[in-house]
Amino acid sequence: MSGTVHDLLAASAARHPDKTAVFQGGRSATFAEIDSLANRVARLLTQAGLDRQDRVVVIMENSIESVGVYYGILKAGLISVEIHEKSTPSEVSYFIQNAGARACVLAEAPASRLGGIEIPVLVSPAGPGSSRARTFVPWSALDAVADERFEARVSSGDIASIVYTSGSTGRPKGVVLTHGNIRSNTLAIVSYLGLQEDDRVMAILPFHYVYGKSLLNTHMAVGAQVVINNRFAFPNAVIREMCERSVTGFAGVPSTFAILMNRSVFPKTRIPSLRYVTQAGGAMAPALTRRLLDCLDGVDLYVMYGATEASARLTYVPPDRLRRDKLGSIGIPIPGVEVTVRDDQGRELAPLEVGNICAQGPNIMQGYWNDPEETSRALKPWGLVTGDLGYRDEEGFLFLTGRKKDMLKIGGERVSPKEIEDAIVESGMVHEAAVVGKPDQYLFEVPLAFVVPLDEKTFDLEALRSFVAGRLSPHKHPRHWTVAKTLPKKPSGKIDKEALRHEALLEMRVA
Amino acid sequence: MTAIVKSDRNIERPTIEGVAMTDLAEKITAYIRENFIAGRSDAVLEPDTSLIEAGIIDSTGVLELVEYLESTFGIKIEDEELVPENLETISNILRFLASKGVGA
Repeated sequence: MSGTVHDLLAASAARHPDKTAVFQGGRSATFAEIDSLANRVARLLTQAGLDRQDRVVVIMENSIESVGVYYGILKAGLISVEIHEKSTPSEVSYFIQNAGARACVLAEAPASRLGGIEIPVLVSPAGPGSSRARTFVPWSALDAVADERFEARVSSGDIASIVYTSGSTGRPKGVVLTHGNIRSNTLAIVSYLGLQEDDRVMAILPFHYVYGKSLLNTHMAVGAQVVINNRFAFPNAVIREMCERSVTGFAGVPSTFAILMNRSVFPKTRIPSLRYVTQAGGAMAPALTRRLLDCLDGVDLYVMYGATEASARLTYVPPDRLRRDKLGSIGIPIPGVEVTVRDDQGRELAPLEVGNICAQGPNIMQGYWNDPEETSRALKPWGLVTGDLGYRDEEGFLFLTGRKKDMLKIGGERVSPKEIEDAIVESGMVHEAAVVGKPDQYLFEVPLAFVVPLDEKTFDLEALRSFVAGRLSPHKHPRHWTVAKTLPKKPSGKIDKEALRHEALLEMRVA
Repeated sequence: MTAIVKSDRNIERPTIEGVAMTDLAEKITAYIRENFIAGRSDAVLEPDTSLIEAGIIDSTGVLELVEYLESTFGIKIEDEELVPENLETISNILRFLASKGVGA
């Protein structure tokens, strides 16, 4: 029974049961309370007839309850499939069907979220107290469940999570992570960040995203504390809470820091308790990193790199080297992980030669859920092929030079243009569509759409926008639409996205 | 390639000199509807709806809204003023604009 993710929480709960584990607004929960909630969730789901390794889709914002649900699913030997809380009904039904989920935990009325799929549902406290759905279980049912330690046979090789991530081929793929994958990555992160039980992190990143989840798992593992704040829309209020709660850590993606540095009181605020800040989720402009470093006097800044396929983390830049001479690098491998630069045949390249960034280690995924073809493309005998291009210098510090072709990075999230194009074409209103990224000050990139109407006379752009809005989460909605008679093509007949990107940039300058 | 129609989220708006308060409320509501909830017929937008809790606006949405308010009404919004009390709901936005001499 060793080697699981939830054992790390249980061990902390045994060490200091009455210590607060999670703060959320005016509420908080101790380690014992989180562990007890997890035990009851595990028992309830098992009593509902779920079997080992059944998939449970979870659609919840970060909360004390979502933490209990996550560890409860793991304790029961089930597989957690947490998805973006703003997923549309059509996205949700794709995830449920693709994962073959047998239950769902939601924060809202089932009908509005599930696109008509009949599946047993546990509704979180924020949801309604009753529903006409036969399979509906209100949150209050947990009160009647025995509050005893739940024991199921779960081992490190069992799957803990399927995390959906966009692939270049269109619909999101499910990254299969075992307890062993996540646990080893959690412990490696604890070690290089030097996390201890007196640490307290401000968590604004969603836990359905591996970077956000790593904040939760690492802090629960060492008996440290997590402060949940889902309102980064008002960064000043987050900064105020960081001061009031005396947090020692903060984690963000590039857009987080663009907002903090450009439109908040962060540069003028000193948070005396702050010990470290981490940045991952995409390359941040060196100029912004420099400004952030200037403002973080006496605070360690960790620039990090990873992938969902690597449970979260692959490399980090030691803070002293970042300040001294390695700005622009993604750093060195985290403990226990090997990162190499290889050509397409898997041959290792010499320093300064550009090739595929590959990784091996106990944190690397088992594959993509029910997708052997994509799995064989990503997992080679020499490890995970991240899809990023780069090189290492003579000292072994890694640098990225490019990334997987035709992928957008919106905020911290990878989005496939093909997924957006597919949704546009599905409307039946266009002949063809192309989506490209435009650099954005805050989000790194935003999607732009070029469409050719099927029938110019009857074409209604607003109707198309509505259709796409009904299919895709808001961050995937194109920010700008261009309606054209034709799209530029390459000799092969493929749409010339380079030309479209160029055109988009030109237009922005004129506008 | 010829572009025949354009739709942009940051459309330039006419100024609002001499426009009454209710028109101002309508104008802000229309901007938010058009830019943040286009195509989501289920979204409720009342004067006291929390734009954040209702999932209408996220962190970059707040900044877009601020840029819109600044450029449309010719005001300067300080970083210190980007707080829920000023921007959480349409009512709060109207109160905030009034404090800046807009729509008063």
